[in-house]
Amino acid sequence: MFLSFIGDLFQQDFMLRALVAGVMLGILAPLLGTFVVVRRLSFIADTLGHFSLVGISVSLFLSSLGITMFFERPLYLGILFSIIGGLLIEMFRRSYNNFQEISMVIVISLGAALSAIFFSLSKKTGSLYNYLFGSILTVTNYYIVLILITALIVAILFILFSKQILAVSFDESSAKFLGINVNLFQIIFIIMLSVVVSVLLESAGVLLISSMMVIPVAAGMKLGWSYKSTLIISIIFSEMSVFFGLWLAYSLNIPSGAAIVSINIIILLIVTVTKRIILKNRISKMDKLQ
Amino acid sequence: MQININNLSFAYGTKTIISNLSLTLNGGDYLVVRGKNGSGKSTFIKCLLGFNQVKSGMIFYDTIDITNFKSWTRFGYVSQSFDDFNYEFPLTVGELLQISSLKKTNESERLKLLEKMGIFDIINQNINSLSGGQLQRVFIVRAMLNNPDVLILDEPTASIDKQNKVFFYNTIEELHRAGLTIILITHNDNIENLNYTHLLSMYSDLSTSFEERGVEITEGVL
Repeated sequence: MFLSFIGDLFQQDFMLRALVAGVMLGILAPLLGTFVVVRRLSFIADTLGHFSLVGISVSLFLSSLGITMFFERPLYLGILFSIIGGLLIEMFRRSYNNFQEISMVIVISLGAALSAIFFSLSKKTGSLYNYLFGSILTVTNYYIVLILITALIVAILFILFSKQILAVSFDESSAKFLGINVNLFQIIFIIMLSVVVSVLLESAGVLLISSMMVIPVAAGMKLGWSYKSTLIISIIFSEMSVFFGLWLAYSLNIPSGAAIVSINIIILLIVTVTKRIILKNRISKMDKLQ
Repeated sequence: MQININNLSFAYGTKTIISNLSLTLNGGDYLVVRGKNGSGKSTFIKCLLGFNQVKSGMIFYDTIDITNFKSWTRFGYVSQSFDDFNYEFPLTVGELLQISSLKKTNESERLKLLEKMGIFDIINQNINSLSGGQLQRVFIVRAMLNNPDVLILDEPTASIDKQNKVFFYNTIEELHRAGLTIILITHNDNIENLNYTHLLSMYSDLSTSFEERGVEITEGVL
């Protein structure tokens, strides 16, 4: 079964597309996920996904009225709304400085309500399932180009500004003493995150995008001894989840996003339990020595 | 850098924390801000650093009003128990210092600073595995990396042992002798051994006194 999966992976066009999209997803999600976790904003991707869904539902609603925009691709309005959602979170975050999670509850509720309204008005609630859970096995060539361009832009931004974004993420209040324009880098980060979340939506889905960003990082943090090692371990776990998740989805005919997230959770469990056992053994050995 | 504070008052909502505080510090001064918890010391520092927006009174850095002041790299700041920093995520001391040295600094001076503060031994350690004293040294180095004119330390000895306290005060004095302006906030009354040049005492009834070592300059009582 595994060999036929490997064979199809390189022979079937749709499988090859899924692999390319999966590899990109496996890098982008934990890469941005580390910043999200450092900032203690683990729910932000979920929130942006819900707001991106507003754009998609508005786009479907407009097309039901015969109004087409952005080449009839709902994803672009999704990106636009995700950026608006990101800026709203940033605005609320500043006014509830000590209760940053409140900002996300406000934006996620608004996103869920508006998207439900526009999906219902567009009479295309059937397509909602795809957006909620995503499907990496049905991505198009157009999507592959889009995700590659997104990855390239993120790579350029990281090469140019990773120091600044990291400094702001770890300690927002002290970053200004390093000569960093904190507001500018907050905005650059939130726009980058909004765009990545809405692009990944098509393959990962609104409900699973947050898990793909945060769970590999949660596992990576258990093993990492530095920022760099944590990031690399998170990306390896994320890629393993994509690969084995695709295999599961292909073999058992189950949704790909759900399969990938399940593998992510299994990896996290294995890492947590193994680490606990090793630590326990070490402590009992030290006790014996004393 | 000269720091001029004229009639500074600050309130959180209707609760006044600082009332009509005035003082002048010149480059190379060493100010100790002393007061009990709740006397407004940290609020005062947050005003100085632009975290709290000053609505009543004025703060000038040289001739620039704080509302127009942009050159924050001239300040080094070590916050109280480093609570603004997320030091639970894996990050080595080396990585922290790497993301913190943005201004072009003299490499040999940087290495000298790292050696003096004993950072080389812990450069590859994860910051969440450091003791209070080690963490404090790392944060002082981070604040010093970009050669500031003024170093501000908020309750620096709160979570460190006696041996580290001695090392800390010796280091501060060395930096002061080298020409750095120091502002040190403490709730500790035992400051007689410090070689400060100025003392600002803040009290919970909003009164303050500012004195040059041994000579009282101003006294503000409500």
